[in-house]
Amino acid sequence: MTILDLDNFETDFWKDVDKRKTWDQIIPGELRDTRPVTLTKEVIARYAEGVGEDNPIYFDEAYARTTPYGGIIAPPSIHILLMFACTTTEDWMRSPGTINAGQNWSYHNPIRPGDTITMRGTALDRFIKKDRLFAVHENTFTNQHGQIVCTGRGQTIRPN
Amino acid sequence: MTAQLQFDQIQTGEVITGRPFTVTRESIQAFADASLDYNPLHFDDKYMENTFGKTSFDGVIMHGMQNFALISRTLTDWLLPKGGFHRRLETRWLKPVQLGHTITTKATLTQKKQTDKGFWVQFDIEVTNHLGGLVAAGNAMAEFLDVIPGKPE
Repeated sequence: MTILDLDNFETDFWKDVDKRKTWDQIIPGELRDTRPVTLTKEVIARYAEGVGEDNPIYFDEAYARTTPYGGIIAPPSIHILLMFACTTTEDWMRSPGTINAGQNWSYHNPIRPGDTITMRGTALDRFIKKDRLFAVHENTFTNQHGQIVCTGRGQTIRPN
Repeated sequence: MTAQLQFDQIQTGEVITGRPFTVTRESIQAFADASLDYNPLHFDDKYMENTFGKTSFDGVIMHGMQNFALISRTLTDWLLPKGGFHRRLETRWLKPVQLGHTITTKATLTQKKQTDKGFWVQFDIEVTNHLGGLVAAGNAMAEFLDVIPGKPE
């Protein structure tokens, strides 16, 4: 179990840029290299604060226990963080100039403090449209009980 | 209250307006620190003078996923007090959002649907900028259910 360390994350997205797959090298169906991370109450609270999620269900245990959720949960959109937390500096989603075109996500089990989340990510598809290079990625996040947390698909326009 | 009763109180046609959000360098930094997305598209003025294939921008742009998080918050702000569970969000980003722009989410409750096991509601999503331009569009689903999946014993 690796507790996600927000303070030592590599923020220079130019590092390892030459090791990342370009559009030409992306093989649909190929798995991305991922690693599980554990989300603490503090990580969830920092994410919530950073994206302006101020409902106390995300940080106040006493309040959260009174809700139908029975305790603190993470904001559903925390997969935005997990996409980077669970991948390496060589992952092509970090390539400078990666432009997000759209996303769809489904939510199943809420993430709770102490959960260890595993990401399975693939490049599902790639295509050229209106002279632009697109990749489609598909992700499944599961918790330590093997339960599906959320699944999602997105399209990015790849830098040339 | 049971999920059935909560569901029965929901009215289609309701329009939910999110909190307006203004993009600043500070808001971009805060979102990057929360999401760990440090793409230079959001920080580097010099880099943004490039063209990106067929696309060029007038300066740094807001993270697309900032928009996703704001839509998500608009939905959960409304759903959580009513007992609704946010189940799905689909978005398309139509226009870049730049420094100084103010964007607002509008979710319209379009349909209610009872399935064999669930009580579902559907939303149409639009995000507009301060000039009235549509920057994102999409749809969402929520469910009313008696027990939240994974609730502790």
